Amino acid sequence: MIQPQTHLNVADNSGARELMCIRIIGASNRRYARIGDVIVAVIKEAIPNTPLERSEVIRAVIVRTCKELKRNNGMIIRYDDNAAVIIDQEGNPKGTRIFGAIARELRQNFSKIVSLAPEVL
Amino acid sequence: MFDDLFKKHGKVVFIRNDQKSSVAEMDDDAESLAFAVAMAKIANDVKAADIKVLFVKPLVYWTRFFIIATAFSRPQIGAIRTKMADLAEEKFGKVPNGDLKPNSWTLLDFGDVVVHIFLPPQREFYNLEEFYGNATSIELPFEDEKPFR
Repeated sequence: MIQPQTHLNVADNSGARELMCIRIIGASNRRYARIGDVIVAVIKEAIPNTPLERSEVIRAVIVRTCKELKRNNGMIIRYDDNAAVIIDQEGNPKGTRIFGAIARELRQNFSKIVSLAPEVL
Repeated sequence: MFDDLFKKHGKVVFIRNDQKSSVAEMDDDAESLAFAVAMAKIANDVKAADIKVLFVKPLVYWTRFFIIATAFSRPQIGAIRTKMADLAEEKFGKVPNGDLKPNSWTLLDFGDVVVHIFLPPQREFYNLEEFYGNATSIELPFEDEKPFR
């Protein structure tokens, strides 16, 4: 359940540390974004001397949510944090490696993120 | 090591029904390998460089083979993409998932085989070979047949 003003962790090595969601893309009237949705976000905290800086507006894909994700077979997946991966306008990830486990649902649209991830649930 | 321990102390409590036998699994592997080599051959025909076929099934469960290739321009990436998609649909009946337009990192997801086509800077930047360094590399039949100069 990600909505504008939600703070998210960053699950890649792009240099940003924390994001704040400001808009959900592709949803004119939907309140919450979930795993696999693209959001527009502001960088709230960044590691010094990296290409990304504080208060920059970027796009990101949500990869982990505290709100549980339900599958058709009855499986439920819930993570400890809300996390996103920063992408550019073409959909390529800005970082080169992803941290932590991500869900298989991302494979439909973001196979690149899946192929960089250490573990796919 | 775990196999010995399992034989000594373990017992099977539950077996999933949807698991395939090892023979069927091997057949699927061989079929995917043939498909992967056919795709690599197309990449070679369109003059992609540094083509690598990696057997990643032991490392990740969601696919069997990775093909990594370098192309030198976006039109070339587009050519490789359309050729691969056409042949896969014609001969193997598979439709790719992934990028629809040529991109600096173009990915074609055929299910069991995933094709990555990079521009040279992106290939160096993402360095997928290092990330999948433990995967076994497949020998390609056309590597030795370098064009005569």
